Amino acid sequence: MRMRRHNSGAHDSSHGIDLAPMLDFVLNLLIFFIITAIFVKEFGLEVDRPTSFESSNSEGKSIQIQILDTGEIFIDNRVVDVRAVRANVERMKALAPDSAVVIFADNDAQTGVIVGVVDQIRMAGVYDITFTTSG
Amino acid sequence: MKTHRFSEESEDHGIDLAPMLDFVLNLLIFFIITTSFIKESGVTVVKPDASTAEHRESGNILVAIRENGEIWMDRRRIDMREVRTVIERLHIERPDDTVVIVADKSSHAQILAEVMDNVRSGGITDISVAAAPAGG
Repeated sequence: MRMRRHNSGAHDSSHGIDLAPMLDFVLNLLIFFIITAIFVKEFGLEVDRPTSFESSNSEGKSIQIQILDTGEIFIDNRVVDVRAVRANVERMKALAPDSAVVIFADNDAQTGVIVGVVDQIRMAGVYDITFTTSG
Repeated sequence: MKTHRFSEESEDHGIDLAPMLDFVLNLLIFFIITTSFIKESGVTVVKPDASTAEHRESGNILVAIRENGEIWMDRRRIDMREVRTVIERLHIERPDDTVVIVADKSSHAQILAEVMDNVRSGGITDISVAAAPAGG
């Protein structure tokens, strides 16, 4: 009896579900996600490492570039400036269209030089770049 | 006019929350979707410039190599031999993660190569080297 009266009273005072607790919860979730959202934009270049199968050089056709620890760049046993790498790679690509580029860097070569060379190779239109080091 | 106001007042007490709730839920969904949980390295390094650098949409494990050869991941300095185990653990947690190696301009090629090999043996093959886009 008392139960029924209580029920009817509750029914009178609020129509439908009370949204306030849900709204509180959703707002908390929202604040959490706004705070934890990190908008990091990382820019990068894709570079491969040779696998043990590729290192036997089975494909044959590849443009080889050496980078010394002094920062000198060698293509075809000639010293080449960083800015001239693009032209050289373009020329060699014209001779052998689907060739990949292999960069042989000295252990102490600087990353900045390597990335600069990779950038030039990509500008020449070759995106299949492999990077190895040698002591 | 008078009757209209009277009937509105009797129907609902206070502000109608439904449109606000819709808006807030939309915002919430937006932030849930755009959150990418990037594992930051914790140090700042001078990145080399490259004009062909492209935005890595899903690059969310950052491995930093400092000028002096220190390797930083997940806001702490780690040893070269730890790289593989850390990558393995992160790879199990979120299998579609990719790695961006943020190497300093004057770091050595040998360390970069070793880190790349360790990341690969840790199970993640999608590796790229970070670069600052030159000229904006």
